[in-house]
Amino acid sequence: MFRTILVANRGEIAVRIIRTCRDMGIRTVALYDDSDLSSLHVRLADESVRLSSGALYHDAAALVQIARDCGADAIHPGYGFLAEHAEFARACEEAGIVFIGPSSTALEKVCDKIATLEAVRAVGIAVPRHSSRAYHASEWDALRDAAERHGYPLMLKSYSGGRSQGMHLVREPTQLESMAQHAHSAALTAFGDDRLYLEEAFLPARYLEVQIVGDRHGNLVHLGERDGTIQHNHRKMVEESPAPYLTDAQRKELWRQALAIGRLLGCAGACTVEFVLDAQGRFFFTEVKARIQVEHPITEMRTGIDLVRTQIQVAAGEPLGFSQDDVTLRGCAIQVRVNAEDPWNHYLPSPGRLRRFRFPGGPGLRVDTYAYSGCDVPVRYDPLLAKVVAWDDTRAGALGRLRRAVADFAISGVQTNLSLIQRILNDPEFAAGTYDSEFAQRPLPGVEVPPEHLRNLAIAAALAYIRRGIDSSGVLPDRAGSGWHRDSRKLPQ
Amino acid sequence: MSKLSITIDGRTFVVEAPPLRRMTSAITVRVDGQTVNVLAPDMGSPELLDWLIVDGRPYELVVDPNLRWMRSRFGLHQIEVRDLEATVARPASGDGRIKAPIPGLITRVLVSPGEAVELGQPLLVLEAMKMENEIRAPRSGRVAQIHVAPGQSVTLGVVVAEVE
Repeated sequence: MFRTILVANRGEIAVRIIRTCRDMGIRTVALYDDSDLSSLHVRLADESVRLSSGALYHDAAALVQIARDCGADAIHPGYGFLAEHAEFARACEEAGIVFIGPSSTALEKVCDKIATLEAVRAVGIAVPRHSSRAYHASEWDALRDAAERHGYPLMLKSYSGGRSQGMHLVREPTQLESMAQHAHSAALTAFGDDRLYLEEAFLPARYLEVQIVGDRHGNLVHLGERDGTIQHNHRKMVEESPAPYLTDAQRKELWRQALAIGRLLGCAGACTVEFVLDAQGRFFFTEVKARIQVEHPITEMRTGIDLVRTQIQVAAGEPLGFSQDDVTLRGCAIQVRVNAEDPWNHYLPSPGRLRRFRFPGGPGLRVDTYAYSGCDVPVRYDPLLAKVVAWDDTRAGALGRLRRAVADFAISGVQTNLSLIQRILNDPEFAAGTYDSEFAQRPLPGVEVPPEHLRNLAIAAALAYIRRGIDSSGVLPDRAGSGWHRDSRKLPQ
Repeated sequence: MSKLSITIDGRTFVVEAPPLRRMTSAITVRVDGQTVNVLAPDMGSPELLDWLIVDGRPYELVVDPNLRWMRSRFGLHQIEVRDLEATVARPASGDGRIKAPIPGLITRVLVSPGEAVELGQPLLVLEAMKMENEIRAPRSGRVAQIHVAPGQSVTLGVVVAEVE
């Protein structure tokens, strides 16, 4: 087993990885830059290394050097940054450091999304119609022609990088140019690669994925599916397992296809096989994520398996230690992503110092976060502040726990999307589990507050106003442009 | 006593409340004529209002610094606070400071420092939510200071003028 692991990430996933390493008695090295010095991962590691000026979390050469200097024998990349970066994996291999993830050659294979689609189609699994190549921003004419041939609606997808932020739905030809420009620059910012490819869009659709884990001894098992259909502002907000709308026959077929694809591509460690489900109930394979996913805790809650530990064990050459028959998928788990942003004002990011941060607890509940009261939410990184996961034997039980947990999450100092999450969780269609990708297009139910509480809250507002007069108004941050608008009771776009 | 009109999620309440102290204190407020007991906890923290107990019920809150919204366990509430004493003439015992009753834009300043004014005389015009609001003198006296100029945005409760 490894002695020291460099955690080449930040935020909640760095905290998550450090916790498992410490459980296993493995020394950890964390990274930070000046803007996230106060994050929890910096405090929990055995050693914390400051990224020197210029070097960032995605600076492959700097990270390999840090790993060498601190004597790390393995690097865990988390998600994002260098998680699916074949050259980084190769640099680690050349430096004699284990990259906790696929080999550089396997990574090259799954990251070539078009070749992967074609390889999967060749073994008889349905894939969406797609363009035969990816296009740079400079190839607008070729992209437009390809879109013309392909037909609408279509999905513009980043060639590198993930499903939610890297996926843009184009409903009609007039939207293509502006969407393509936006998608090219978004992909360049998020993934360092502006290439886009076209894929058939299904309306309405459901986005499904299957967690698979494999070792280097030929074992490959699935750990059930997850739904990630509910997205806002091109980001997944709610994820759950099992997908509530699937029949048992569909579910078994989905698992079977995921394992076949995993075998075909030689997946080892933790991988996610992504599918889209159309209105007729047909599955189409879309891509493979060869890394730990943001939504992995819902699978951990149902299976009791620590996926990060499994990744580490497999990377160290150990066998999985469990077979498909040993895996029990228990109950239901739902996760929401709490972001530091203002969903009622164009999802404006809301960095700042957390004045108060008290997360919920109780049975069947898990919160993954890097934050605490007094911690800074940096400007530079993504707004994910915390993940709240609720589990129970039944979906209704898990939803009840999650609604309560979100209502009790006390965060002040930055704006959050907690109120939007509450409204999603209270939506009857979400509660019924019948939602699809058009969910975000429909208005959410308003907040219904019992009259006596409304009166009491009015008193609270009055006292807040009076108290404001006690403190000098100069010390209060004037967050111009933030907050709730009279005309934004409809769902933000 | 402060007299405030609070609109929350479309319902309006008139709240009369005594001055608050920084330490934990039990106070009594009047809402639409009813008396309600409130325990306002210690205000040592730099927050606007963290939690309180109204009529035996605890509420945890996150309040927008501009008092346009507030989050409770029920979700986000849109609020609108009007200081009824800022627009209505105050009794002579008032301190003469005139606060912006709602956030908005100063469109006109009708008086100059040093000018004698009568109780209820319009001093400034504040435009907010597409309406012009006259801010009137809380007492007869002399304009001590005007803190704002036409075109200036003001937040809720900011002192805009003083009459002595």
